[in-house]
Amino acid sequence: MPSESERIGGENLRIDDLWFSYGGKLSIYEGLNLDVRPGEFLGVIGPSGCGKTTLLNLLAGFYEPEEGAVTLRGQPIKPEDPHLGYVFQQPTLFPWLSAIENVEFGLRMQGMGEAERRERAQHYFNLVGLMGFEDYLIVRLSGGMQQRVNLARALAMEPTLLLMDEPFGALDAITRETMNDELLRIWDTLGQTVLFITHDIDEAIYLSDRICVLSRPPGGIFRMLDSELPRPRHGPTTRTGERFWGYKKSLINDIAEVTAQRPTSEEEIALLKRRKKIEESD
Amino acid sequence: MLGNPQAAADVNKLNRKVRRFEFSWSWFSIPSLLVVWMITATQFPAYILPQVWHVAQEGYEWVVSGDIWPHLQGSFLEIIGGFGLAIVLSLICGFVAGFNKGFREYIVPLNGLFMAIPPIAWAPLMLIVFGIGYTTIILVVLISAVNPMILTIMEGVLQITSQEVRAARVLGAKRWQLFVHVYLPASLPFVTAALRIGFSQAWRALVAAEMIGAAAGVGWMVQVGGEIGNARQVLLGIVMIGGFSYLFERLLFRPIEKKYEVWRLA
Ligand SMILES: Nc1ncnc2c1ncn2[C@@H]1O[C@H](COP(=O)(O)OP(=O)(O)OP(=O)(O)O)[C@@H](O)[C@H]1O
Ligand SMILES: [Mg+2]
Repeated sequence: MPSESERIGGENLRIDDLWFSYGGKLSIYEGLNLDVRPGEFLGVIGPSGCGKTTLLNLLAGFYEPEEGAVTLRGQPIKPEDPHLGYVFQQPTLFPWLSAIENVEFGLRMQGMGEAERRERAQHYFNLVGLMGFEDYLIVRLSGGMQQRVNLARALAMEPTLLLMDEPFGALDAITRETMNDELLRIWDTLGQTVLFITHDIDEAIYLSDRICVLSRPPGGIFRMLDSELPRPRHGPTTRTGERFWGYKKSLINDIAEVTAQRPTSEEEIALLKRRKKIEESD
Repeated sequence: MLGNPQAAADVNKLNRKVRRFEFSWSWFSIPSLLVVWMITATQFPAYILPQVWHVAQEGYEWVVSGDIWPHLQGSFLEIIGGFGLAIVLSLICGFVAGFNKGFREYIVPLNGLFMAIPPIAWAPLMLIVFGIGYTTIILVVLISAVNPMILTIMEGVLQITSQEVRAARVLGAKRWQLFVHVYLPASLPFVTAALRIGFSQAWRALVAAEMIGAAAGVGWMVQVGGEIGNARQVLLGIVMIGGFSYLFERLLFRPIEKKYEVWRLA
């Protein structure tokens, strides 16, 4: 039973009529609306290049929306916001620091005293199951362990909104399932609002309260799927249940439809043009 | 920043092991050179190519008489002055160029231009303006070292991924914190490389400049030794030039490198 004192809780995230393009050329979002409930676990899936990472970077305030607004509990979000946690798609651990020093990094930036921040970091370090590896350098940790450090580093800030960009995408299936269970256990304890990006359908269903399928750019949400899978989830039972299969079937169809949408990315357009030229010359 | 004792202990253990047990062909580098020297020297009269021990004897005499100190001191002050200035200047310019595109565009052509001109070509001009003395040599040393150093440090800043910086920002790092806790440690390998490159450039330029326009220094020793036909003095000077470099390598570059090679090369 999670103790109340450990609970961080989540906050309401709103995206209102969001427009965004890269340099006015490559339009990614044209009027995206999304309302994430406090403490909700929202899965976001979509084909590669559909703008998932872009969305998180907009949410974190790295990019400015061209129109519309992104707010957390009614306030615009800046990257330095202490309520914000972000687990990046690419590895971003600091290799010159030890594992636990990585977890302490944010607390140190806040000016927290050494003893206090070590204690807090240790707590989250243990929570992700890394006890005993405190003094390891990052290069000596396995991929799965590195992602645990990554997660602990974000959690140590006790954010109310946790953005996760395919955090387990580089892991093998078995490690990923273990990490999924650990993430759910931690989320169950801490209760943040989580936006979890993946392009693995199973992972999205297993973790989420709702699953958002993104269209190809320029677009927005293709479909929002409400999951009624009971919690707490349990690998063997949840993954083999009727409902799970039902959701999976419908998401597979959605993804197939989204993938068949007209291609708009620059490379794809270039590719099409080239193909057309070849056909014409024939 | 190897802040944790455990990892540091690991590394020390590793190093000690390597030192004690591992055979290395590098043990033969210097001795083989000495052997070749000694064998070659048997073919020449001692006043043309002296033996190793003649040069050692020469060194001993210079030390006992105290004649060597002004030269050591001269070269030392010049390298400290010239290379020191180059370090300060290249750190500032290198980091600014790394951060600021405009400054980068401005300074890179200048670096290229200066690097295309052998630094010793500046020596006559400096001699005309400043005469024989420290200023002339320090300026030649500075010009030779600072340009490749700026470029290397700039590369170091540019290779830092925006993802690492973003991660630090999300963790609440402000501007100067980003600099101290991300940019500085992340570019440390490049800063060391810059020091190495800069030093080797600086030291070469120093010796060459001393041979043209100085009244003391190891370069001067070699130059004057050649003029008066004293091969022992020439060789002593060369040995000192090599030894000086070696000391810098051991006392300055290795310690800095040790700090990051653990996470860089593990
Ligand atoms: N910095 C950028 N400048 C210009 N275009 C970009 C930039 N970053 C991404 N894009 C383009 O925007 C589109 C969406 O990219 P994004 O990284 O958000 O995709 P994604 O959904 O995260 O893909 P993946 O699942 O492969 O990570 C792509 O077509 C990409 O080429
Ligand atoms: Mg992505």
